[in-house]
Amino acid sequence: MTVTTPPRPAAARHSAAARPGRRSPAAAVLALCWAGAAAVVALWWKDTGPVVGPAGWLIGGGRIAGLLTGYSCALLIGLMARIPALEAGVGSDRVARWHAMAGRYTICLLTAHAVLILWGYAVQAHTPVVGESWTVATTYPDMLKGTVGGLLLLTVGVLSVRAVRRRIGYETWYHLHLLTYLAVFLAFWHQLALGADLRGGGAGRAYWYGLYGSAAAAVLWFRLLVPLRTNLRHGLRVRAVVQEAPGVVSVVIGGRRLPELAARPGQFLRWRFLTPGLWWTSSPYSLSAAPRPDLLRITVKAVGGHSAALARLAPGTRIWAEGPYGALTADRRTRQKVLLLAGGVGVTPLRALFEALPARPGDLTLIYRARSAADLALRGELESIAHARGARLHLAVNSPDGRRPRLSVEGLRAALPDIAQHDVYVCGPPGLLRESYEALRAAGVPAGRIHHESFEL
Amino acid sequence: MSALPSRPLRRVVITSVSTVAGGLLLLSLKPHSTAGAAPLTTAPAPTATSSGPAGSSGAATAPPTGGGSTSGTRTVDGDAVQTRYGPVQLRVTVTGGRLTAVTAVQLPQSNPRDEEISSFAVPQLTQEVLAAQSARVDTVSGATYTSEGYLRSLQSALDKAGG
Repeated sequence: MTVTTPPRPAAARHSAAARPGRRSPAAAVLALCWAGAAAVVALWWKDTGPVVGPAGWLIGGGRIAGLLTGYSCALLIGLMARIPALEAGVGSDRVARWHAMAGRYTICLLTAHAVLILWGYAVQAHTPVVGESWTVATTYPDMLKGTVGGLLLLTVGVLSVRAVRRRIGYETWYHLHLLTYLAVFLAFWHQLALGADLRGGGAGRAYWYGLYGSAAAAVLWFRLLVPLRTNLRHGLRVRAVVQEAPGVVSVVIGGRRLPELAARPGQFLRWRFLTPGLWWTSSPYSLSAAPRPDLLRITVKAVGGHSAALARLAPGTRIWAEGPYGALTADRRTRQKVLLLAGGVGVTPLRALFEALPARPGDLTLIYRARSAADLALRGELESIAHARGARLHLAVNSPDGRRPRLSVEGLRAALPDIAQHDVYVCGPPGLLRESYEALRAAGVPAGRIHHESFEL
Repeated sequence: MSALPSRPLRRVVITSVSTVAGGLLLLSLKPHSTAGAAPLTTAPAPTATSSGPAGSSGAATAPPTGGGSTSGTRTVDGDAVQTRYGPVQLRVTVTGGRLTAVTAVQLPQSNPRDEEISSFAVPQLTQEVLAAQSARVDTVSGATYTSEGYLRSLQSALDKAGG
């Protein structure tokens, strides 16, 4: 992982709060993506002659859709290449949502491409579509590969539909999703062999090589080589496992030269514990404390088989980690005063920020909501931090009849009369996120100062 | 930071509909006939007549100017015929009333496969039509579209040459 910001000198810490937050590159990245798509369409426009008859319209539409599919496939891979500027600048969650959005769009484009091209060819040749499709798939150059690639992409698309994904489980979905690389590789060749705009040594061919070359290089570098270097350098191992609350454990991790990892409070890593039953799955968990020179800590709630198994990790277990990722850091901050809003185990990144965000006494507030007092994981250390830093800590638990305390505008204003002057970091289950987002907006906090990370696609 | 994730399905539908509209707009802005784009036949209207086996349809036509020579050499471009893979246009040379040469002005070449097809089909067709002295020959199997375009362009050239 490359270092994105040098550690600030201690003297500058307090003035740092007044500095405007680093601008997110999101708008620039999105503009670049759309400009790339416009260039693809321009390529088609430049190379295309008259559009004659129904076949001309169908094939023309099919070609535009095909070019855009090829473009967005490269984009999909690039977005998931864990490029630091995207992960820490735009935010891993937001990039993942872009990827999901672009993925759905790509499936639509791919379907349009296949249907329009085959239909157009059939109209032109006065043959039935089915026979024509068979001819195209079996006799056109690289089309057997292209067909397999396209069908694989459609399969992965169907598996990613929310209802299906939930049914097959995260691990199965994730590993099947890796087939996308194979699908895109297989589909690449028919684009060069048959794409009217990509043949020869023209601008189109150069663009395509640049596009796919960059995507492949980014994946190779950031998904394979950088993690390899990280793990060789730091040699991470489980140091201890600590029970924090019912079903909530902290895993303390030791390693070499951890300052070079440049993990910052609020960030997460993708952890792979190299032990039977766990080595094949990699899960994102936030650091639940500011990193120490030789220690990292994560805190995990048992919500599935994987997180439950963490409680049984033996000290000394080797770990393969990727990261740090995530943009829920001090960089987002624009104001002197900060409110941290945590729900359940979502407290973990906010716990690290509560400890590390530069703040004068009274400027920092943490509202922490959980089901019951027993579920308030890390409560003791939060209280110590609050005491040591002069920060405020509000704990809220469900009433005995199970009703959740509502986050209301009045409640927020009562707790913090100047709430509109705060930056707010929210982390918790989707329900809390939605509820607090609405309440905060109503209380006068601008959307640009509500910072959240949500991996709900 | 961004607003909360919301209604992904609606967003993808909106984007798709916009794409369809944009695609249709682009397609509608393109010309819709080949007349403007296909190279026009540059051969002058035939003044001399040719007759005999070369003019398969012209043979029946009365010569517009009487007593034309049959020994002159003339070159006539056929129509640019659109096929699935692109336009086919031929240039024929008629010497002394006989079809002596057929060359391609345009052949489908939008991708390597088209070039491959042209490279085996065109020489074969040329050989056959020169032998038959007409466009009434069989298409080359595996190159149906290119063959049909070839023969139609050839016929149009012969029609023009035949006057």
